[in-house]
Amino acid sequence: MRAFEYVRADDIGAAVALVSGDPAAQYLAGGTTQVDLMLKDGILEPERVVDITRLPLRGITADDRTLRVGALTTMEELAADPTVAERLPFARTALLAGASTQLRNMATIGGNLLQRTRCRYFRDPGVPDCNKRTPSSGCAAITGAGARMHAILGAGETCIALHASDLCVPLVALDTVVRVRGTDGERRIPLTEFYLLPGDRPDLETVLRHGDLVTAIEIPLPPAAIRSGYLKVRDRASYEFALVSVAAALTVEDGTITEARLGLGGVGTIPWRARAAEQVLTGAPATVETYRAAAEAELRAPFTVPGTAFKPELARRTIVRALEELGGDRT
Amino acid sequence: MTLTRPVVVGAGVDRVDGPLKVAGAAAYSSDITLPGMVHVALVRSTIAAGRITRLDTGAAEQLPGVLAVLSHHNAPRLAAGPTNNLGPTPPPPLQDDRIRHHGQYLAAVVAEKPYQAAAAARAVTVEYERTEPVLRIEDPAGELRTDPFGMDATRGDAAGALAAAEVVHEATYVTAENTNNPLGLFATVAQWSGGRLTVHDATQWTSNTCQTLAQMFEVPESAVRVYAKYVGGAFGSGLRVWPHVVLAVLAARTVGRPVKLVLSRPEMFTGIGHRPNTVQQLRIGAARDGGFVAIEHEALQTVAMDDENLEPVAASSASAYACPNVATRDRQRRLNIPCPGSMRAPGEAQANFALESAIDELSYLLDMDPLDLRLRNYAQVQPQFGLPWSSKALRECYQVGAERFGWSRRDRRIGAMRDGRWLVGYGMAGVSYLWWQVHCEARATIGSDGTGYVRSAATDIGTGTYTVMRQLSAELLGLELDQVRFDLGDSNLPWSPQAGGSGLTGALGNAVHAACRELIRTFLRTVVNDSASPLRGCTIDDVAVSGGRIHHRADGKLGESFVAILARHGLDELTADGVSDPPDPQEVGMAPAGAFAAKFVEVHVDPDLGLLRVPRIVSVVDGGRILNEKLARSQIIGATVGGVGQAILEETVTDPRTGRIANANLGDYLVAVNADIGEIDVTFVGEPDQLTPLGTKGVGEVGLPGTAAAVANAVYHATGKRIRSLPITIDDLLG
Repeated sequence: MRAFEYVRADDIGAAVALVSGDPAAQYLAGGTTQVDLMLKDGILEPERVVDITRLPLRGITADDRTLRVGALTTMEELAADPTVAERLPFARTALLAGASTQLRNMATIGGNLLQRTRCRYFRDPGVPDCNKRTPSSGCAAITGAGARMHAILGAGETCIALHASDLCVPLVALDTVVRVRGTDGERRIPLTEFYLLPGDRPDLETVLRHGDLVTAIEIPLPPAAIRSGYLKVRDRASYEFALVSVAAALTVEDGTITEARLGLGGVGTIPWRARAAEQVLTGAPATVETYRAAAEAELRAPFTVPGTAFKPELARRTIVRALEELGGDRT
Repeated sequence: MTLTRPVVVGAGVDRVDGPLKVAGAAAYSSDITLPGMVHVALVRSTIAAGRITRLDTGAAEQLPGVLAVLSHHNAPRLAAGPTNNLGPTPPPPLQDDRIRHHGQYLAAVVAEKPYQAAAAARAVTVEYERTEPVLRIEDPAGELRTDPFGMDATRGDAAGALAAAEVVHEATYVTAENTNNPLGLFATVAQWSGGRLTVHDATQWTSNTCQTLAQMFEVPESAVRVYAKYVGGAFGSGLRVWPHVVLAVLAARTVGRPVKLVLSRPEMFTGIGHRPNTVQQLRIGAARDGGFVAIEHEALQTVAMDDENLEPVAASSASAYACPNVATRDRQRRLNIPCPGSMRAPGEAQANFALESAIDELSYLLDMDPLDLRLRNYAQVQPQFGLPWSSKALRECYQVGAERFGWSRRDRRIGAMRDGRWLVGYGMAGVSYLWWQVHCEARATIGSDGTGYVRSAATDIGTGTYTVMRQLSAELLGLELDQVRFDLGDSNLPWSPQAGGSGLTGALGNAVHAACRELIRTFLRTVVNDSASPLRGCTIDDVAVSGGRIHHRADGKLGESFVAILARHGLDELTADGVSDPPDPQEVGMAPAGAFAAKFVEVHVDPDLGLLRVPRIVSVVDGGRILNEKLARSQIIGATVGGVGQAILEETVTDPRTGRIANANLGDYLVAVNADIGEIDVTFVGEPDQLTPLGTKGVGEVGLPGTAAAVANAVYHATGKRIRSLPITIDDLLG
């Protein structure tokens, strides 16, 4: 651990100014990932930490069309929200499938979006070759062992680090919008455009500029007729990140899928919106054959290493299962 | 005197240390704080093989609060530690520039505050000359040690019998490396004072830690005192004196102040042992009627550079079944890995998976029920010695287990049982646990207020030693539970063996038994010529004890209290010592028996997604005489959960290029959580063992082996997939 300065921000503008003006400053919210990375792992070494937990960014409001969630709302608070339970049951399932109650009581929604990868190579400073930590240093994970937790979509030779959020999987499927405050005011960024694929620069993870502060997310509420579910597949029955997870929402009318929203977790370098699968599903009959075709379309070109070789097939099957549970099989 | 009052012993008495632990008042070694105490942080190797070419501590030494940085440049040469019944002491740290494994300690930073020590440890820079590490168990570049324990067994002609057998099953089984991961981080607090050393440590064996530190630091044992009043779990990792303990002691001597060293969770993966991975070949030959004609078991396991680890794997197969021709062979491959060590049921956890999976496979070749096949080959006498067992109720374990589980409801066809989408499988395994007992000493005192004080250097690693020994002492001295104190965890107390090998309760219980009997004899000697005593002239066989009194066996009214005897003779107290030693099997004409068990497991498998759940496990255990059924049951439950971990979750992953452990934290190394554990049913059967006065057999480990094999056998029954490699995970089961 390196010594750092701790500052508590009085208002949003001051917080943004404090961090924007100092390249070595970071925001601190729930801290459930960040404190580990700072104090235990020595991966993050900010010189100044700006505590935003007293800012008025906590709370949930809803109207007919949108659920607005303050960035400092905790995971438990969001899971307990009645609108979430009623209109976004798969988001609730995803929230409660993640972490533990203790962590969910601390962890914030803004932090969940910006959580760092669990890649075992990224998190050990004793590993020198990590493109995400040190650009152009290589990727130890690709040749490493125990690769089950790595990504197969959006991944490549530079980086296979997974974005491990459960919550972001339904959020990305729902076209959630992220509200961001920067030095030049507020912006609204669709979650589907919020994350960057690793490409040549795995160190760049989002479109945020240094000092940008996530203030809220806006989740469009899906139509009441839609059925949704979150299916998380993992070895341990609880307290483990997904090997594969699927957030799916389907509207089926007279045996035909009229609306399909599909997000994948446990497989992507970013929370994965399965648009290829959605295209196959939309307008197609609600049959297992359709689901298989959708899964096939999404997993057409996975990037695997020996440890993740089983994941494309597991992802296909999990997609089919999740869709079948929602849409049935009208064959 | 006989144990005629089974009132206290056997009862499910609550843990006497429970309230302290729940209230956070039990001081583990990491809770010990001494005046002027400073802190140690460790620098570990980031390569697995080679040598240090440059180790620069200059920057670290300049940081605030730093008092000293120890490395191979300035650390004194230390004497080697002793060799005991578990093997030699691990090599002392900081003695040379050689790198033997990733995570090896290269420097120790001493600073005023723990965070200052941690910061300075990161400021130590190390340069290496790398050599190619040997990391894979199959790698012929690693030295192969044959018969490392001198326990390879031969009976008859296994090879010949296999060649002639009507049915042969042959297969290779693989078990993963597992890491003990007790919840309590290991910590050492060390203080030197005028040539005397005091240590608070997370050890399972204070007597050994005392002897080892005395030898390494070349001071008399009488100048070293080691405390381990409470240990936050260990599962075998506290059996040896690991390098961090030595470093804490060295640091304290260097800076002349008390020091504390608390391992981090990642350091717990490289510094205190782990269950070595294995590759095992099993060959079983049988007649058509199911009778075994030959068992060959060859096991290869890993071992570290410059170290040894007593881990007989194949050896345990020699005495599990009646079989005329047996050959077992253990081998070790020396690798650039952190030192393996004991982890709950060392050797047997791996061996049982292979043997009991192989027997299950054979049962299908023979078209026999796997339970019937085991009964068909039941070892009525100990097959290696040819002697009757000192106790064995394995048959009852099978029978009671089958009944409690509902084994008769098992449809023998593969994949025939279902619960909705889930395939249902039933599997079982038998366990014949090896016997282990060693010398132990205890001391018992009764004071003028009539209360008892019994003690030994033993440790309670969370198993309940404080409780059962207090129960036993109370019974043997005729006192109530709250009239007796049992103390342990202090090397100044009478010598005790390790809390390990499921041997402590037996060894210590019999030493306590001997000490308490000797104390009663001492009271009787005190009054032997005392005309005022109704006990005058009595021998121990004439009397019984109860209610704080010694009285004639035949006439409870004819006797007097301990208090009265002490008062009349002007004594503050009387004290007596007791020892126990393992009997010689030939002398007693019996083969000493360890515990036996049967495991019955139900699994559910989702064949599309590869999901595996274990909703139900029935364990039936012959543990001889059970001193406290509640605590014994807890041991079996905990060990069963550990078995589920071994079966479906736990795997320490070593990076194949660097030798770095890639999942050295509790987020990535998966131990079973509540949601993984369904119904666990535990039953004890059997009789007191005939070998010792108390009749106990250890139950600390027997609950673990058998679980993995029964799970794998149930998985086969459910799916037709035979998984011969642990842990069994989703990718193994994707249909």
